[in-house]
Order: sequence, then C-alpha cells, then structure tokens
Amino acid sequence: MSLRDFGWNELQFLLLSVRWTVLLSLIAFLGGGTLGLLVAALRVSPSRLARWAMGVYITLFQGTPLLVQLLLFYYGTSFLGFRPDALLAAALTFTLNSAAFFGEIWRGCIEAVPRGQWDGARALGLRYVPALRLVVLPQALRIMLAPTVGYMVQIVKGTSVASLIGITELTRTAVMVNTVTFEPVRVFGTVCLVYLAICWPLSFASERIGRRLDTKRAASLGDVFRRPASRPAAGRVQPR
Amino acid sequence: MYEFQFGPILARMPTVLQGAALTLEFAAASTCIGLLLAVLLAIGRVFGPRPVAWLVTGYVELIRNTPLLVQLYIVFFALPKAGLRLDSNQAAIVALSANLAAYAAEIIRAGLESVPRGQVEAGLSLGLRRGRIIRHVVLAPAIRAIYPALGSQFVLQILGSSLVSAIAAEELTAVSNNVMMETFRNFEVFILAGGLYLAMVLLFRGFFSATGRVLFRWAA
Amino acid sequence: MFNEGRRTVARGALGLLAAGAALMAGRQEARAQTVDELIKKGKLTVAIDTTTPPYASLDNGMQPQGYDIDLARLIGKSLGMAVEFVTVNSPGRIPALLTNRADMVVSIFSITPERAQQVAFSIPYAGQSSVLIAPKSRSIQEFKDLSGLKVAVTRGAMEDIVLTNQARTTPGIGILRFDDYPSTAQAMLSGQVDAMGGGDYGDIYLKKSASGDEFEQKFALHAFHFGVGIRRGNPDLLHWLNTFIYFNKNNGALNELSMKWRKMPLIDLPTF
Repeated sequence: MSLRDFGWNELQFLLLSVRWTVLLSLIAFLGGGTLGLLVAALRVSPSRLARWAMGVYITLFQGTPLLVQLLLFYYGTSFLGFRPDALLAAALTFTLNSAAFFGEIWRGCIEAVPRGQWDGARALGLRYVPALRLVVLPQALRIMLAPTVGYMVQIVKGTSVASLIGITELTRTAVMVNTVTFEPVRVFGTVCLVYLAICWPLSFASERIGRRLDTKRAASLGDVFRRPASRPAAGRVQPR
Repeated sequence: MYEFQFGPILARMPTVLQGAALTLEFAAASTCIGLLLAVLLAIGRVFGPRPVAWLVTGYVELIRNTPLLVQLYIVFFALPKAGLRLDSNQAAIVALSANLAAYAAEIIRAGLESVPRGQVEAGLSLGLRRGRIIRHVVLAPAIRAIYPALGSQFVLQILGSSLVSAIAAEELTAVSNNVMMETFRNFEVFILAGGLYLAMVLLFRGFFSATGRVLFRWAA
Repeated sequence: MFNEGRRTVARGALGLLAAGAALMAGRQEARAQTVDELIKKGKLTVAIDTTTPPYASLDNGMQPQGYDIDLARLIGKSLGMAVEFVTVNSPGRIPALLTNRADMVVSIFSITPERAQQVAFSIPYAGQSSVLIAPKSRSIQEFKDLSGLKVAVTRGAMEDIVLTNQARTTPGIGILRFDDYPSTAQAMLSGQVDAMGGGDYGDIYLKKSASGDEFEQKFALHAFHFGVGIRRGNPDLLHWLNTFIYFNKNNGALNELSMKWRKMPLIDLPTF
C-alpha cells in the first residue's frame, strides 16, 4: 500500500464497498421492519404489560447512541454466551435499533386511524389481531408509507457507524483509500455523492408521497410575500 | 461464566464523567450555534429571493442525505487541505452544528409555514410592516409550535455526538473505549456508557417538556 | 375478548425469538481449546487486521496478504486444516479471543504483561520497533520535545500504551486516539497532529504531506515482539504453537517471510 493517485482503481474500490452499505441497509430494513411491525402491534395491544415492555424497549434504543449499542453488541455480549463477529453484531444492532424506530413511527400511524374503525371491527366480532390486520393496518398503510421511506434514509446513513468496528463499508473504505491517496476532498466528495445518490431519491420519494397525502396543507407563507407561488415540501421532523 | 466486575470501571468514574460533561458541552454548543444558523437558513428559504431559497434547499438536502460521520471526516481530515485547520473539539462542534442547522431549519420552516396565510394577509391589509408581521404574527406562534421539536434536537445532539470519538474528541464514547482498553470489562463499560446517555436523554427530555409547559402557558 | 389475538401476537414474538436464537446457534463458534479439539473441528479461525501492511493488507483482488497472513496459513498447513480469517481492528483483538470469535490472533500482537492477563502469548515470531514519526522540519529527539505537541496514536496499540504512560511523567503531551491505523495516519497527513506513533513500517504511508513536508522516524518508542495470541488456560495449544515457531525459526521459514514482506532478515527472537 504505497502512495498512489485517486484514480479509476480507487473509485472502483469505493463503489464496490457500497454493496456492504446496501446489504447492511437491507438487513436493517427487512429485519427492523418485521420486528418493528411486531413492536408497533404490541404497542397498541390491549395488554398493558406488552405496551409497557415495548415502551421500555423503544426508550432504550432511542435513548442511547447507535454507536454505543453497536459497541455493546460487538464487544460486550460475550457473557450471554453470544459472540457475534462484526457483521453479525452490526446486523443485529441495526435490526433492533430500526425496529424501535419503526415501532414508534408505525404506532403513530396506527393510532391516526380513527378509533371508530376499531369499534366497528369489534362490533363485527373481530378479535385484536384480525381487527388490526384486516381493518386498521390497511388504512394505516397509506400514512405509513412516507415516514417509512423517509426512515430508510436514516438507516442508510446509520450503516456508516459500522465502519467504527471494522466493517469495510463505504465510509471505512473511504478512510482507507484516503490514507493511500491523500486526496481527502476528492475521496470524501465522491463518498458524499454516493450517499446522496442512494439517499436523495428516498428523501424525495418520501416527501412526494407525504405531500400527496397532505391535502389539507395551507399554502406556503413565502407565497404571500413572494409571488408567483412555489410549492415547498411539507417539513417533517425526522429522527437522525 | 461471566463475572460482572464494575470495580475497575468505577475507579475510573471521574474520567468517564468528564467525558459525559464534554458530551453535554458538544450538545449545548452545537445546538446554540446550529439554531442561530437554522433561523437564518429558514428565513432565507421562506422569505429570501429565489436563488437564496435554492441554495438553502441544496445545503439542507446535502446535509440530510449524507452521514454525520462522513461530515465529521470532511471537517477534520479534508478542510485542512483547503487551509482551514480545526482541532478535534472545534471540528466536532462545527460538524454537529452544521448538521443540526439543516434539520432545525426544516423544523423552523415548517413552524413558520404553520401560521395560517390569512393572518399574514390580515396584517398586510392593516398596513403593518413586513418586519412587524414576521415578528408578531409569524414568529411568536411559530416558536411555540416548534419548541418541542427543537428540544428533541438537543437530545439528538447528545446521541449524535458519540460519533465524534472517531476524530479523537474525548467525549463519553471515546472515554468508554479507552476504559475498555485498560480494563477489558467490555460489557460493564458500555452498559455504564449507555446508562449515562439514557440518563442524560431522559433528564433533558423531561426538562424541555417541563419548560415548554411553563414558557408557553400563555397560549394554552 | 382479545385474548386469543394476544396469544397469536405472543406466539409470533416467540417464533421470532426462536428464529433469532437458531440463527445465533447456527453460527459456528471458534472455541476449540486443545490441539485435539482443534483438529476435530477441522478449521482454524484466525483474527487479522488488514490495515497493517506489510503484516496484513488487502491485495488488488481484495484478498488478505502479508507476513501475518502467510504465518497464519503456515500454521493451518502445519495442523493440516483450512484457515478462516475474521477481520478485527486493533482494539478488537483481545475481544475476538475472549468472545470465542477466533481461535488465534495473528495480527502484530505485541507481547505485554498487561495483555497477558487477558490472553496467552506464544513465543515471538517477529519483532520490530514502534517509532515516533514526524515531519522532517520538526526537531524532536526525545519525549520531552513532545511537550505542547499533539501526537496521534491508534487506540489500544503499543504506541498508545507507551505514550500514555510517558504523558503521565511528561506533562503537555496531547494524545489523540483514533480507532484504526488509517485514521491515525490520516490525522498526520492532514496536519491535525504534530507527530504520530506507528510501526517502523509506518513511513511507507507518509511520503508526502499536506505541506509537501517529508516525514521521518524520530526515535524508537519501544522495541517489541509479536506473538500469536490464544485464550488463556490452554497449555496444550500454546505448547504446540511454541514448537511450531521454534521449528520454523530454525528451518528458515520465518526468515523467508521477513525477507518477502519486510525486505530484511529476521531479527533475533528471544524465547520465554
């Protein structure tokens, strides 16, 4: 590894490492999504114990840094008789972490469905799970879509943290390439573009979907001062 | 079987608490600087001329669609090549502030735009000047609307600042790593670190919701 | 009335937990203790760090290469089994053993009494110095010249231990700890620090700097030897490793590795 220029080889090396970023993101999305649905379902379930337990779970994972969770799973889990390698530790951390966020996001969406729908389902003789599955969730899906796609951006960005336990995904590869080329502006500039290429379409889609559903939104204030009107997107608070 | 030993870690508690203090300093400094910047960005985007609004949008999208860790690396490793050298702590605050500004600008913009258009038009028709409308009709209710979201931004800064350990700033996560290297009590170290983060987060979450209730009693 | 539904949810949760547990259990653990157990397992899992050239790095085909890699393969060949590599970073080496993720660590693992409280070391198979590296323009001859300067080290590496100890008696040394060697070298390259601790191979990273200044090795921080790390309480395997190293030292195999990767003959290696 002697010093060389930032050329085609290095670019290829960076682009190849994106597969780990994508793989980790998919694991977090699929695993976290599956588990998150369960968390959301338990969070609105009739059982107080289940609601409380999921509340604690969400608080734990939303109240501590992703990096600390990752370090705990990677270095600190041996006493459980569970010894993950870096990739498994990352997969597990990202899954559990995004399950907490998905659980909380989707709970909000489920609760946005009018209470009367539950009552109606109950009147039809449906129990909790069928009522959720057949009546409430299908209606919540519409609202769930935008924040779900939006949170995928956070997942993709979050995978960069895995570089700190030695997984050679995009960010760690950038550090390694920069060490042999010392072209930090070009290397990290490229990396930013790659992340943008993955994340920006997701952000854009999320905002589009959100805006289409947000029919009651008032016209932009800026429009009053500044005509003709532009159409800024609906601002949403996103977790980082 | 694993035996828990918190002893060696408790012996290093002063260092750990120093790290936690630095974490809070990072969160506080970057929230203050970031908010100031965010207000400018939001005003630029909502009230500024079209090119300014585009620039702000570009900045916000760039920051929100790239990882904080990469932003930290750029500030710490790449800016010196452009002639701007910041030490670990300065680089941490700059990157965290720049990051928060993008998110907070969107929150503030949403708050500004939550004010019904009719009220502004009413102000205009009463002959009020632009500045007065912005201050009284737009900003006052907007601040109330966005206060909870801004409080949660501070909490997110506490969590996000754990990443600055990667550029050698000795905050809570970095200190925990050091203690792990010295004691090899991996589980205990990160349980302690996680507990401290959780305590800070819950404390400040409670603080912001309590102050929010007091500050905006007039509007209730 | 929601009772049955609740049970369905609970069943779903249990199923998911069971699936997770199965996934964990399905992963093979590297926890063989004796040579016999290792042979029975039929596979040697070795922890390496591919950011430490010339001992371990990735070649153009993204495969590990280097002194440590060749040695690990030689160990595998000698035991008659395939070698599987797991990548760790410097701070991850001891955890890799303690958490049974690897049977051995072959990764420029310097032998120290502190580490030996956690893991067991074989006799040395290689050795070198860790050195203080700084730009030529900066005059540094000894530790006290570092007062008031910033020095980058890799967290948990030998340089960290030596300089952290030194900083206790020489106030004013600012130590910046990074998570891996590339970050440390990068901090030096971008001029964020005035000096760095690295192996005496470290200068190959550092041919040009931000200011065009050249780097040089100022002084040795510490001379040390690398051993193969295994879990403690494992005398059988340790004895085999020592026998293996003794044998390959005498038949010239280690010298060949040294010539191939370090372009210099094997240094005198003590035993213990």
